[in-house]
Amino acid sequence: MKIVIAGAGEVGTHLAKMLSNENQDIILLDSDQSRLDAIDSNYNLMTWNGSTSSFESLRDVGIPKTDLYIAVTPYETRNITSCAIAKHLGAKKTVARIDNYEFLVPENGSVLRQLGVDFLIYPEDLAADEINLALEHNWARYWGELHNGGLLLIGVKLHGASPLLNCKLKDLPVKAHDFHIAAIKRNNETIIPNGNDEILQDDILYFITTPPFIQEVRDLCGKKKRVVKKALIMGGTRIARRFARRYHDKYHLKIIDNDRENCETMATTFPDCEIVLGDGRDIEVLRENNIYQYDAFLALTDYSETNILSCLTAKEFGVPKTIADVENLQFFGQAESLNIGTIINKKLLASSHIFQILLDTDANNAKCLALADAEVAELQVKEGAKITKAPVKDLRLPFGMTLAAMVRNDQCLLVGGNTHIQPGDYVVVFCLSGTINKIEKWFN
Amino acid sequence: MPFFEHRSYINFRMLVRVIGWLLTIEATFMIVPCVVGLLCGEHSFVGFLICIAITGGCGMGMVSLPRKSREMGKREAVLLTGMIWIILSFFGMLPFLICGTHMNVTDAFFETMSGFTTTGASVLNTLEGVPKSILIWRCIVQWVGGLGIILFTLAVVPMLNYQGGMQLFNAEVTGITHDKLRPRISSTAQGLWLVYIILTTLLIGLLCFSEMSFFDAVCYGLSTMSTGGFSNNDMSITEAGSVYVKTVLLIFMFLGGVNFSLIFKAAQGNFKAALRNDVLKWYLGIILVCYLLLCLNLWVNGLVENIKDVTIDPLFQAVSILSSTGLTEPDFADWGPVAVIVLVVMMFMGACAGSTSGGAKIDRFLILFKFIKNEFYKMMHPSAVTTVSINGKGTPPGVLMKTLAFLFLYVIVVIAGGSLLVIIGLPLKDSFFICLSAISNTGLGTDITGISGNFALVPDIAKWLLAFIMLVGRLELFTILLIFTPSFWRK
Repeated sequence: MKIVIAGAGEVGTHLAKMLSNENQDIILLDSDQSRLDAIDSNYNLMTWNGSTSSFESLRDVGIPKTDLYIAVTPYETRNITSCAIAKHLGAKKTVARIDNYEFLVPENGSVLRQLGVDFLIYPEDLAADEINLALEHNWARYWGELHNGGLLLIGVKLHGASPLLNCKLKDLPVKAHDFHIAAIKRNNETIIPNGNDEILQDDILYFITTPPFIQEVRDLCGKKKRVVKKALIMGGTRIARRFARRYHDKYHLKIIDNDRENCETMATTFPDCEIVLGDGRDIEVLRENNIYQYDAFLALTDYSETNILSCLTAKEFGVPKTIADVENLQFFGQAESLNIGTIINKKLLASSHIFQILLDTDANNAKCLALADAEVAELQVKEGAKITKAPVKDLRLPFGMTLAAMVRNDQCLLVGGNTHIQPGDYVVVFCLSGTINKIEKWFN
Repeated sequence: MPFFEHRSYINFRMLVRVIGWLLTIEATFMIVPCVVGLLCGEHSFVGFLICIAITGGCGMGMVSLPRKSREMGKREAVLLTGMIWIILSFFGMLPFLICGTHMNVTDAFFETMSGFTTTGASVLNTLEGVPKSILIWRCIVQWVGGLGIILFTLAVVPMLNYQGGMQLFNAEVTGITHDKLRPRISSTAQGLWLVYIILTTLLIGLLCFSEMSFFDAVCYGLSTMSTGGFSNNDMSITEAGSVYVKTVLLIFMFLGGVNFSLIFKAAQGNFKAALRNDVLKWYLGIILVCYLLLCLNLWVNGLVENIKDVTIDPLFQAVSILSSTGLTEPDFADWGPVAVIVLVVMMFMGACAGSTSGGAKIDRFLILFKFIKNEFYKMMHPSAVTTVSINGKGTPPGVLMKTLAFLFLYVIVVIAGGSLLVIIGLPLKDSFFICLSAISNTGLGTDITGISGNFALVPDIAKWLLAFIMLVGRLELFTILLIFTPSFWRK
């Protein structure tokens, strides 16, 4: 598939790197040569120096034969113009990164579609959504919904109170198969477990389950349900403003920022939020603002280090849920192993969203990402595939994969040993990175 | 997390595996001379079978070694590129040792390296009695080396189709910056090889229409397209060949010196790119100027006897040297001092980057000439803002610096190499001439070697040195010389 990415910013670069490892034909377009140089000599993709809204350079990169055009420069209007040009030159699908919630309102959508923009991504909005999910399900580290919420992927870090500790998977204290432990993350390593693997303290378990059994999973992990009402936000960044705009009536919010002008703007736009001028890194400021009374602390400044450290401080103050925005991917693993609740990353959110768009345009490619070094794939079973020959327990499947769940006639079911997979089912498979090709053989 | 993965300093297992792949490919190429030997009823085909067994066996063995990760960084890519050319030459010399040419190791290695780097300098005194299988093997070696062994591997081995392959591509392909034709490295390599194969087939087809035998047509086809210049019989092609043969060779030598991605684009119908290309214009211009100089020289020296002497002969000579093929007119030695110095300048320049030719490449000269012009202009107008623009695009200062460094290094290598040859005992003029000829992969010689370059009389140690200089020239200095810098190995 030929994909052109316009804009070699953070999102564009990350997406280009990721997709080039997925065997797609990638062209990265930017008008700044120095940004392209670093990526050009190190990745298996093509870079092109040219303006994203110039007919000439778009023709030069071969837009008429492009399957997907993704405009992710920081400027919304430029992205839209660029998508409109690309669409008229013959790109099959276009995606534009936007910065304005008005475009997402359904009745305004047709205007953009007429212009030639097929999909919109709004990374800050995705981040705001993610924060909301994390606050709603504040006992989980990771909360992912597949098939419109029919299947849930829940990541939980185990602490002392769980009955699961030191259990082997094969003798879990449950009667029915209501959930699967699809992956375990331990010391920066992801394990696809089998019956003999043991659950240890501080593991992050990834459960796959259906909505009726959420409570059971939560109890097994020794977590309590807690409703978040008050949240303290540090840093009045774009994510923070987007979150405040969408959820100001759901939570009681207080935003601390150290820029007077920004504070004044926010005070006008969000009259029902408390806005404080001050430095969130200062413990005195946090104490003055009664940090111990808050249910959640969101560190959303532009600096990943500040966010990570502030969350640790907030934990010291006894805030039950903390969320940090970590944009440096290098810190991601470190931050996960620290005692910070949820970590969000705009780049990853935006790229997995675009990945999802890719899945819809290209039926053969069936991957989606969720974890750092494991893959969650949703594969359609073809007629006569090896996997349909017998019930799962008799199949002698390779190690390093879990058949977690499947969707049959729009119904989400978990896969157990006795399940007999039929052609036409969609199966959700967990596997380690790079083993997907071996697994696809079973489905074709 | 991948960030914390323990990584050894140099991923040797990965290197061994890739080298294994390349040896397997080399063994596959050896099948051709083996079949030729069999068809001609020569005994050498047994020798080739042994060579295939050794090379293929080693290759397969290395490929089947387990590897931990396929990760490859810059350090591995540079090391691999250098090592591959040397290792493949060592295996490629086996036929010369086994198949009845009575060469010693030094001669065989020199011959193979000269082939792979498309230098075309030979140590064979006479080609009389040399088996045909050996002749075709020499040409195949040139042909594969012409566009690049690694580039071929990138096109056919899917394993390298990721970022590690990208590094290899950068280390091997000639030129200052590298055009990618397509987004994926494997499709870029396939595109370039497709152009190469089509051109070669066309050339062989055209040569078949001449008085040449099919075998000679194939050999000259392979050898000319790669701008190598190994000859197939003792009589030079320029002596024996008809005007038709010369014209055909002339055109394809010219094409061999053009940037292959331009040919690729032109073949796709994008002629604008070729017409607008400054380097191509200069390439044509330099050929024209050199042709006129040679004509003038011939006329002044009273060597003009018929119309051929002022049309096809000097033109053939100019293109042959500039594209670093190194086929020469038989009476070139009599053409006089002007001709020799024009030849030296042409050897130094070479043709366009991204082609199979050698030399320092016109692209670099073009950049530096424009740069010098700007510098002069700036002396008069100190506050003028100038850029070096090539094909309508500005050249970043980094590229300019790299070009300057390259040419400086080029001169250093020529001087150092030439001086060493003098110390070894060669005459002064020969030393520097041969050294320049080796680094620019032309393969010409002067007094002791004879103009068409027979290196049999050169001492053994000088042959090893020249083989090394050829490799340095083929991989455009930095890739090989980097391995010898202490910082490359410092942990």
